[in-house]
Amino acid sequence: MSTDLLNTLVTGAIWRAEQLEEQGVGSVPLAWAEVSSLEEKLATALPASQPEGRIARRGAVRAALRAGNFSRAQALTERFLAEKEATQTLRAALRQLLEEDASALAGRFHHATKTVNEARSLARWLQEGGAFGLAA
Amino acid sequence: METIAFYSYKGGVGRSLLLANTARFLAALGKGVVALDFDFEAPGLHYKLGHTARRESRLEGGAVPYLVATARDATSPPPLEEHMAEVPVPPDSGGWLRLMPAGQAPDRAYWALLKQLGEQVRFDDPSGRGLMPLLDLHGRIREELKPDYLLIDTRTGVTELGGLATTILADTVVCMFVANQESLEGTLMVAEALKAAPRLKGQRPIRVVPVLTRTTSEPPTENPFADGLKRLLALAQQGDKKKPKLLELPHDAAYGALGWIVADEPTDDALSPLDKAHLGLFRELFPLPAHAPRKR
Repeated sequence: MSTDLLNTLVTGAIWRAEQLEEQGVGSVPLAWAEVSSLEEKLATALPASQPEGRIARRGAVRAALRAGNFSRAQALTERFLAEKEATQTLRAALRQLLEEDASALAGRFHHATKTVNEARSLARWLQEGGAFGLAA
Repeated sequence: METIAFYSYKGGVGRSLLLANTARFLAALGKGVVALDFDFEAPGLHYKLGHTARRESRLEGGAVPYLVATARDATSPPPLEEHMAEVPVPPDSGGWLRLMPAGQAPDRAYWALLKQLGEQVRFDDPSGRGLMPLLDLHGRIREELKPDYLLIDTRTGVTELGGLATTILADTVVCMFVANQESLEGTLMVAEALKAAPRLKGQRPIRVVPVLTRTTSEPPTENPFADGLKRLLALAQQGDKKKPKLLELPHDAAYGALGWIVADEPTDDALSPLDKAHLGLFRELFPLPAHAPRKR
């Protein structure tokens, strides 16, 4: 698939996701997941040294977060951070996206603001080991 | 605030009753107490604390509706007072007791809400969105209500919420079991897991308090059960200088769910063996100044 076609598709997908979000339609996460998937394809096609490549990488992570898929956002971030061509600005921007997501979560839960990162690592512990960590 | 979770690997050990009596005991001693029912699949703490499904004593709200509302709204969680009820304590005690029931069980509306909770909240969501409401609820109780004790009734067996309430929220876990091998071995497995579980920053290691319940005679001293008991007590002692002793609660078939109420001065004759055992257990758990708990 050409980058031109991908760009057209991702523009349409973003518009659709935003419209669905505005209308409060339940399939919004799916729409953002589609955006993230298209942005990831663009990121694969365009190196991180190019401005369009950097935009696609940020877009893939941001859309994954808006889709509510934190695991994917985290995995994409780790992958993009490991790229040799990734600039310091891109690295900082990617980290900031995850930090903003943590801040938004902390903002809702005023009595647990300091525990977002711990909550995330505990959730991973629970996901891997099940109740009481017994399945690990 | 000390958080004490009451846990049992198997059901029918008198867990909710012990929690309710502990709550009343502490409130009667002038302590501020919150009792939280996290036994969502079989809630009953509200019955033990005087609120049944009858219209005149029914409660609004509870932990399940609170968590559903929290998951549904993008804003901050709802006010705590909408989901809690006062439980009367002796007026001159200076203490207080608030109950957060699981919800209006056994009404059908409660089960519909519990279904919603299962669909909307995944505690293992790696974003932390499932766990934050629980951690926030714990923090809110500590900071808004400022109780001396938070007592949590947890689900029997091995469940996610039971695991979280014991491993992450609790400072002390009272592990109740009966005198048979299946109950003991399950309890041992969970107690080992509790000791190995991760803790939040600033939390001290979990204190495990084993309680053998429904005893009808002295526990055996030489057989696999006795060996298991030794292992459980050794686990309970980990990180604790004081050698733990086995706490026991006798079987009492006639014991009423609301039978033990702290009020008035009791005579020794007025206390059943289980009453006395409960009092002995409270004194072991809470090294408070000398006090004569009372019975109506």
